[in-house]
Amino acid sequence: MNPLEILEKMHDDEKKILKALLELKQATSDEIAKKVGVSKNEVERASMWAKTKGALDFSEQVKEHVFLSPEGREYSEKDLPEKNLIKLVQNGVDRIDELKRKFSRTDIGIIWARNNDWIKITDGKILLTKNGLENLKKQNETEKILKELSHDKVDPKKIDQKILETLIKRGLLSKEIEKKKTYFLTDLGKQAAKRIPKILENEIGQLTPEILLSKGWKNKKIRKYDVTLPSPKIFPGKIQPYRQVIDEVKEKLVSLGFVEMRGPLVELNFWNCDALFMPSDHPARAIHDFFYVKNPKYGKILDREVWRRVEQTHKNGWETKSKGWGYWNEDLAKRLVLRSQGTAVSARTLHSLKKEDLPFKMFMIGRCFRPDVVDAQHSVDFDQCEGIVVGDGLNFINLLGYLKEIAKTVGAEKISFKPVYFPFTEGSVELKVYYKELGWVEAGGAGIFRPEVTMPLGINAPVLAWGLGIGRLAMMKLNIDDIRLLYSEDLGWMRSKEIVR
Amino acid sequence: MPTITYDKLDLLNLIGRKMTDQELEEVINSIKPEVVKITHDQITLEHYQDRPDMYGIEGLARAIKLYTGREKPRKFTEKSSRIDIKVGSVPLRPLIAAAVIKNVKLTSGFIESLMNIQEVLHETIGRKRKKVAIGIHDLDKIFPPINYEAVLPSTKMVPLGSTKEMSLMEVLKENDKGRKYGALISQSSKWPVYSDAKGVFSFPPIINSDRTKVTPQTKNLLAELTGIDMHLLNQTLNILATGFSQRGGEIESVRILGKKIEVTPDLSEQSMEINLDELNDWIGLKMQPNQVSSLLEKMGYSSKDRGKKIEVSVPCYRIDILHQVDVFEDVAIAHGFNNFIPKIPNLSTTGGIDKLEKISSKIRQLMVGFGFLEVVLPVMSNQEEQFAKTKVKGMMVEIENPVSEEYTGLRVSLLPGLFRLLSKNRHVEYPQNIFEVGDIVVPDNDQETMSRTERKISGVFCHSKASFSEIKSLVESLMKNFGVNYQIEQTEEMPFIAGRGAAIYSGEMKLGIFGEIHPQVLENFGLEMPVASFEIDAELISMI
Repeated sequence: MNPLEILEKMHDDEKKILKALLELKQATSDEIAKKVGVSKNEVERASMWAKTKGALDFSEQVKEHVFLSPEGREYSEKDLPEKNLIKLVQNGVDRIDELKRKFSRTDIGIIWARNNDWIKITDGKILLTKNGLENLKKQNETEKILKELSHDKVDPKKIDQKILETLIKRGLLSKEIEKKKTYFLTDLGKQAAKRIPKILENEIGQLTPEILLSKGWKNKKIRKYDVTLPSPKIFPGKIQPYRQVIDEVKEKLVSLGFVEMRGPLVELNFWNCDALFMPSDHPARAIHDFFYVKNPKYGKILDREVWRRVEQTHKNGWETKSKGWGYWNEDLAKRLVLRSQGTAVSARTLHSLKKEDLPFKMFMIGRCFRPDVVDAQHSVDFDQCEGIVVGDGLNFINLLGYLKEIAKTVGAEKISFKPVYFPFTEGSVELKVYYKELGWVEAGGAGIFRPEVTMPLGINAPVLAWGLGIGRLAMMKLNIDDIRLLYSEDLGWMRSKEIVR
Repeated sequence: MPTITYDKLDLLNLIGRKMTDQELEEVINSIKPEVVKITHDQITLEHYQDRPDMYGIEGLARAIKLYTGREKPRKFTEKSSRIDIKVGSVPLRPLIAAAVIKNVKLTSGFIESLMNIQEVLHETIGRKRKKVAIGIHDLDKIFPPINYEAVLPSTKMVPLGSTKEMSLMEVLKENDKGRKYGALISQSSKWPVYSDAKGVFSFPPIINSDRTKVTPQTKNLLAELTGIDMHLLNQTLNILATGFSQRGGEIESVRILGKKIEVTPDLSEQSMEINLDELNDWIGLKMQPNQVSSLLEKMGYSSKDRGKKIEVSVPCYRIDILHQVDVFEDVAIAHGFNNFIPKIPNLSTTGGIDKLEKISSKIRQLMVGFGFLEVVLPVMSNQEEQFAKTKVKGMMVEIENPVSEEYTGLRVSLLPGLFRLLSKNRHVEYPQNIFEVGDIVVPDNDQETMSRTERKISGVFCHSKASFSEIKSLVESLMKNFGVNYQIEQTEEMPFIAGRGAAIYSGEMKLGIFGEIHPQVLENFGLEMPVASFEIDAELISMI
């Protein structure tokens, strides 16, 4: 490229820098910024553009500095703990327990005083060694360095390396690396720079309202840009990736006629388990480990009647024609827990339904909690997606029908059903879906609510219930294998993650 | 959900025919347990809690044979063994059940199975031996009279695997099983034992004696159970006894002489009447009685057709059958879930989004329009983050059994989570303007659950020039977009700088707060950049 071509593509800032360097010969970005009157960042950015055009270059010097940490600064003013320690010992405070009461840094002091061979300890008592006595008055090398550093940054090369390492290890010093660039023009740059004054007058860089008003652009040239040069990054505001998946699922469920429901996050065991016919004491309850609320431990009974029906159902089947479990623990039912399954909301919803509400379809997508140790597969917070369909004449084949429909919403290519066990459904099904890339994946569970669940809640029609592993589904959609990313705290990841399609 | 590994060859021997791995997997998955892994000599299954009768290899083989038609439902009967067990007063574990299995051939597979089934039943139904403890002995090494009673800890026995006579107290202290299960009895002054003419032969729920241990030469077995729930003991005994008889032994009963005389086991079937129309309605097919009865047979039930009713005999080992729907499910399983043609019913309803979710969604749209990035964070948090670091005073719902210091309760505000997120992203380009729309939980003793779940919307500006006026413009714009008439009042609340915090009201109703975050709070969160933030109640906005 010749000098004119370069100039045609140069931004005003680049030209200003070229002009400045022609005068300064060589300069740092700070010096250029001062001369040109733009920010240091802008100088650096424009210099990089100019460098790609071959107009300038730079040399880089790396410099190390050390400076005091807050703790180091404190010691430089008030002496090192080991020094304070031997001073106290010299003044007769020589028992460790006593020292600890008087001097909070006794432990650190002892460690370093011993390292320095200043003290000996016998029977909890500290004795000064000869070395220690000598050092009482003298300022040692470490202290000298601390004092010096309290005034200024110091080139670490001037400090004894052993002492430097120790001080950094003790956290008294920090190291800082400074990179300094010195810019200078290439021959091409010099030639271009010499032509700038003329060009600046005849060219338009940024169009302004003034130029447009004055029609000044008509007899000037509008400068050409190098459209391939990097521009500053910007980040859009956007919906969190996991939420985008949830919104898609919601949209599809609403289109299938489902109404969205919500429920409380702190739940009575009653709604979380007992109303779902999970026995008070049975291995079935081991499916769930719960988070129990510390205080208050128990909630209130609002509808005595439904509690009585559930109690009877557990004890002897009530009017459901079931044998029941033979026992029920009301105290446990009153216990407050963090909702462990979205089915609690289904139970509450069934309890609130009136005859005229039927047929009825609801879903809920909500937070649940289980005491898992957090890792790539487990999170104490997780979301469940649950749905129920209530209506006369519903049957097992219909349940499979809904599962097939739901599998479509998650983009499955093939589906398969398998028997499974849930305490609150009979005709319990696991839905497996097939994806080309992943093979068979468990997508969710479903079943027909047991009469022991529906009848005490006042429902005499069949209730089809299903749950979808929405977190797992989202992980597949987002192509991630760590569940924690669903609740990501990584801004970089969220900014760069593509929109869910 | 117990995961159990079986000897594949023993299983195939019990089934009595060759099956490929694929066949095995298909059949087992169709019955209910989930096949986890099959190797050349082992098969690993994950079981569900409702079918403990399939935990043992014999019960599993029976289910497979029934399902594939190699076995018909059997009627189990028991002869009397003429063996009596006298039961004394054992307050700790007052109830027992026992059975004799005669003429068994103890192959290595059987011995392994004996150990496995005891272990898994102890862990599951037995609730780690608290509700049921099982002991299985060589009957021919037991010399009546047999007693079950409570004795002093100084009583001697030779525990299984040892040659040394020890006191029960020593067993508790020195034996592995003693240390593991000792807590179940140690609070009592007298401990349960079975003894015969030669002394103690079982120390439930801890360990058996070495003298009566089962060996390859054993011909006759005594299974004894102790516990606190007779129903559960009988069920467990039935699972054990019917399982063992799958290997060809004969089950015999034992008389239990307690306050009254009982005879265990009771292997009689339970009769259940199911309604054919209800079954057909439940499944969605129109099956004839003969079809149903052949499906029932595949699941181990014998049945009699009584017109519209079918009388079903439920085998004694099926402890999960509480209601006719349990039998319905088995009919569907026998039919094969994948053999049904799924069909969505013609059931028209109108779908809809929850009101609060709807307003949340609108708020999100606006915030994104302002250029904010949405985050979704855990609802669980801790005292330190919610209160100590923010200097805000308040109460949160706390957990009795937290698994980590990070998650000890439920958040009362979204802001601390946003601050935590900012502190984790100090190396990332600024400005960092983020928001969350999410739930918090406030203690409230007037509520059924002693708390209220509330929906909040919170946002932060975090960059070198984040300021009060910036956040005020944002909040005011939000309010105007929702058509809310509001007033702004000064507050001295943390986490804001005094004089730079404000509350926003609509009449008497406080909608939220906003302001510039106090530098001490920023420091507590390790933040080195100014932050201005707001938090507003979404439900209140939706009501206005």
